[in-house]
Amino acid sequence: MQAAMAAVPPLIENAQIADPVRRFLEYVLNKREQGNPVVGVYCGYAPVELIRAMGAVPVSLCSASQWTIPAAEAILPANLCPMIKSSFGFIRTNACFFYAASDAVIGETTCDGKKKMFELIAHLKPTFIMDLPQLPDDTEVLDRWRKSVLKLQGFLEKTLQTSLSADRLEAEIRETNRKNRLMDRFFAYLACRPIPVSWREIYDVITLEHVANGDEFQDLIEKISSSIDQRIALGQCFGTFSSPRILVSGCPVGGDACKVLQIIEEAGGVVVAMEACSGMKNYFVRITEESSDPLRAVAESTLSIPCSCMTPNRRRLDLLDKMIARFSPDAVIDVVLHACHAYNVESHKIRKHVQKKHGLPCLKIETDYSKGDIEQIRTRVEALFENLELKK
Amino acid sequence: MRIAGIDIGSRTVKLAVLEDGQLILSRNTMTSYNPLATAQELMGDAVFDVITATGYGRHLIKGHLDCPVISEITAFARGARFFSSDCRSILDIGGQDTKAISLDQEGNLRKFEMNDKCAAGTGRFLEVMATALGFTIEEFSKAGLSAGKAVKINSTCTVFAESEVVSLTAQGAARDEVALGIHKAIVSRSIGLLKKVAVPGEIFFAGGVAYNDCVRVLLEKEMGQPVFVPSDPQIVGAVGAALSSL
Repeated sequence: MQAAMAAVPPLIENAQIADPVRRFLEYVLNKREQGNPVVGVYCGYAPVELIRAMGAVPVSLCSASQWTIPAAEAILPANLCPMIKSSFGFIRTNACFFYAASDAVIGETTCDGKKKMFELIAHLKPTFIMDLPQLPDDTEVLDRWRKSVLKLQGFLEKTLQTSLSADRLEAEIRETNRKNRLMDRFFAYLACRPIPVSWREIYDVITLEHVANGDEFQDLIEKISSSIDQRIALGQCFGTFSSPRILVSGCPVGGDACKVLQIIEEAGGVVVAMEACSGMKNYFVRITEESSDPLRAVAESTLSIPCSCMTPNRRRLDLLDKMIARFSPDAVIDVVLHACHAYNVESHKIRKHVQKKHGLPCLKIETDYSKGDIEQIRTRVEALFENLELKK
Repeated sequence: MRIAGIDIGSRTVKLAVLEDGQLILSRNTMTSYNPLATAQELMGDAVFDVITATGYGRHLIKGHLDCPVISEITAFARGARFFSSDCRSILDIGGQDTKAISLDQEGNLRKFEMNDKCAAGTGRFLEVMATALGFTIEEFSKAGLSAGKAVKINSTCTVFAESEVVSLTAQGAARDEVALGIHKAIVSRSIGLLKKVAVPGEIFFAGGVAYNDCVRVLLEKEMGQPVFVPSDPQIVGAVGAALSSL
């Protein structure tokens, strides 16, 4: 059913569209040549507006490849999150271009595994650890987090030999909001049944956002929208009206973990929303503009990201409510990476919430970046879809 | 009409043919390195109008016979109702998988849980442990049942448990007591899955491990619920696949 899409023209005419990593690499290389410093980050809690306002390029250092895990396991325990192992393995084998290109590195204390891994790499680059609060709703937490962001500003000013102006920060806040609103226009297509966009294209568009400024992204979204409008007019879509629509939630699903998305597709399902930070979560954030304290506005927006490292993480349930209402999935698949205790424990709450409040089935898949469990995952996903069929 | 189901599992391949609601043919054989050839040999002269495949080799057969496939979970849910028309909790312990399934009153799938990718606490685990103790599978179950007390086995990982058994026998532990300890380990692991899904009432126990009386008795005791084992617990998935051909 989805093989028919081979005839559909790609969303963007670009020789590199099939390889988002290469596109990102070229972007970073160009920026460096133009004299812009590079700042490595590990997650969305690092305020990218602050980094960009200093003329630097933020790059994500999270890796999702099985390839570097054996090298990592020579030092790290095997029973650790594969994302931490993969990221560390790339650095240990000098295979991470983005790390090598970074003039400074920001580590966020999202979990114990990452926190301790940062200790093992901190001597290699100027590294700043952001002490992330865990109780985002507590009083005075925002003040404390703002102080961390202010400390980061000091670290970056010193390391990059530059200074931050409030106007530049305000301009970057507007830029993020603009890009997030544009992204929202693209996300609107994911609500269509049948869906005119594949999960690979969702990731493609997300990567494009990282390598484009507001004007460029506006231009890209216009082009992408007209390509999709054309698809809709021609009746070109992924799956059929009755293909199971899946919201994928949980841990970041990139690189080798994309096997889960691939299995969903092969079993006849379509991915209509991806909640994780590798997907759509961060684009729903809006930063307060024109405030008297743009640093606080940035701190507030990052702190609102509903990651399972926060407790209680009520905002994730609210986000799922909104995503379910908007993208009308038939089921939720919660992906947990091995040894990610926070998402693993929270999965029980997610399942109960999704079943009780929305009457949707929820399947938890615990996996890593290896290929060894593909058939076991397939059995679970197929059973889920067969059961959806019976209920129709 | 004759409906057939083939279940290509990790250790055995099973074929069931039904006609007018009766099971008229039931065959099984060991899975080889070439499951497709094994399946074809098993089908041999069997006569049927339609066939559905399930089990790990289902997509392999699909590519060959162009027949529909269903997951083992759906197959066991369907098949269990053939043998026990009102069952609601199902435990299947096969060669490399343990599945716990619950159904609603109408027989629709309600919840399911499966073990992770390793064969910890499955049929293959019991085979390896029996061999480590020098028992046949039948002797192994009897030894467990006859033991007065159990030696605690901490691991259900086949590799770790084998080393643990070797250490215990080296320390002079009684063979029967180690056997009971192994059975208890597999039961406690299965109960971990079962408790997440099971509803009160009888538990339908299927898969090759259901032949093992020691596992059945311990399961009944630990769950505090009656356990029903059909006459041919290995054929349940194939029967479920056959029924879904309709």
